[in-house]
Amino acid sequence: MKVNPQSFFNFCASHTSLLRKLAEHDGEISEFETIRLVRINPAIEELPETTWRRLRELQILVPTEPGSDLYLMAEPVSRLLAYLSNEANAATPEMIRGYVSSLETTTKRLDRSLDDQDIQEVALAFEEISQTLRRIHADLNETQHAILAEVARYKTERSRVSVRQKYQRIVHWMERYVEPMIEIVRSDGPLRPAFEEAERLLHRAREEALFNDHPALARNLRFLRLVGVHALRVFTQCRKEIQPLYESLRRSSFIAEGAARALEKLQTEGLAKWGSEYLIGIAMERYQNVPSDAAIALTLRRIVEHPPEPPPFLEFAIEKENPLALVRLRWLDSLPDTVGGILPVSDLMAWLVSTYPDRDTSEIVAAFGLLVFHRDFHATFVDEAQHTYATSDGEVKAFPLILAST
Amino acid sequence: MNELPHLASIFDRLRRGYHLGPDDEQFSALSERYDDYARYFEALGLKLIRHPREFFYFEPDNPETVPDTLPRIAVFSYIIVDHAANQGRPIEEFVFDQVFLITALPHLSMDRYAALLRDVEVFDMGHINTLLNQMERIGWIRRIGEDEFRFLRPFHRVLSKCLEITQSAQTAQVAADTPVET
Repeated sequence: MKVNPQSFFNFCASHTSLLRKLAEHDGEISEFETIRLVRINPAIEELPETTWRRLRELQILVPTEPGSDLYLMAEPVSRLLAYLSNEANAATPEMIRGYVSSLETTTKRLDRSLDDQDIQEVALAFEEISQTLRRIHADLNETQHAILAEVARYKTERSRVSVRQKYQRIVHWMERYVEPMIEIVRSDGPLRPAFEEAERLLHRAREEALFNDHPALARNLRFLRLVGVHALRVFTQCRKEIQPLYESLRRSSFIAEGAARALEKLQTEGLAKWGSEYLIGIAMERYQNVPSDAAIALTLRRIVEHPPEPPPFLEFAIEKENPLALVRLRWLDSLPDTVGGILPVSDLMAWLVSTYPDRDTSEIVAAFGLLVFHRDFHATFVDEAQHTYATSDGEVKAFPLILAST
Repeated sequence: MNELPHLASIFDRLRRGYHLGPDDEQFSALSERYDDYARYFEALGLKLIRHPREFFYFEPDNPETVPDTLPRIAVFSYIIVDHAANQGRPIEEFVFDQVFLITALPHLSMDRYAALLRDVEVFDMGHINTLLNQMERIGWIRRIGEDEFRFLRPFHRVLSKCLEITQSAQTAQVAADTPVET
């Protein structure tokens, strides 16, 4: 359905604030919501229901799909309003790649037309190249405008959007628009060969006299060069604008993340497990038991003034008698050899008390134990009654025992 | 070496954990002859650190027992950074470009922060004031009257620590994501 331009612009003229609100509304909008906006932004002498009807008749609002109760602002109207309010929508790298691809296709067609000397086809290809270049130029400008507006908004915005969210948004702009665009338009990117090929063919068209509108041809050649240089400059400038903001937000985001991690760890695991990795060390020199200057001076003076005296004398003379414990140990150590020469011994205890009558009871028992458990000897009880053996300081009661070699 | 200016006062302040920044009168001497001072203190077994943001402090040792002050200062500082992040402004701009009203601090007014502070035995405004006094003693803040204070440059130590934590977490994440060859 065609829209009457006069009706359309008359309506727009009397409903500018409403149109602005509708344009700002993201996504789909219902009848209820639209009428609410109409009531907030009323037009003189018009019922909200009438405004709602006119919005649909003039195709300012169009259904999201046939029969739907939800509406969208028509794309041409959105673009017109954006244009009027000096707003810009960034072109995506895919769009620019699409233009480059379209340019490549057109130049191939132009190449074939020149080979075939098809003047009509050359003119059409020429027109297409012009249009593509104009679109690229316009979209580059609009993208630059959008990026600069976004940067300005970040710098002035004081809303309570967290640093991390801001960082994510700026990273989005950087990674979605600026860097990929630079990849496309830089001197070794895909834009340059497409432009060079187009320029070569335009020159060829002129040389072969297949296209006689020389001023238009010259204009297109100039435009080709201008767009190439302009594209790189635009996105280099955008990167320069956005880079400091990106760096600042990146740093802030990392700082915020570190603090959040530290607090989260404390919250979930408590102070006992927080660990020293989250603490910021501070030098705390504690001087304990440190002598004062006066004490050091006094000590030094005592050292200096101490009267000389001979070093202490150490007694190095050898003791005349062996210690008793050593004598006892040596006796015990000698027993296996002594008894080894006279084996078998028919009554070990009797032999010990008769051979060593001066040894006391503890020494006799120690000798008895040593010989009974010695690895070279084998001890066996004799089937006799218990005997009493007299020692130097007492007596020992025991069953007789034969000691033999193993 | 004997001609090092303010040597006694510099040593006396640094050894007690103070951070010397541009607000201190000894700063310019330290800044101009950093190498000389560093050499002098090195002979005493003390390492003089020059932070990239241009302030000075003694390298802390690692005591077996951590003083109660350190976790308190850390939690207080992390909270201010977290709060700054939620305001949507660059952290450094938020921290260093304004004077803070003590009663308007978020530390006790937000339940989550108050709970974190309770973990380090900071319960009320009296404790906050004590904490601020301790931070002033180490040169991280300067009190303005009874009710206000501002952060000084050495507070960058907290921001550096935050960056260190993030970097270490990211490194650990990269290591965890790297498949192990078998």
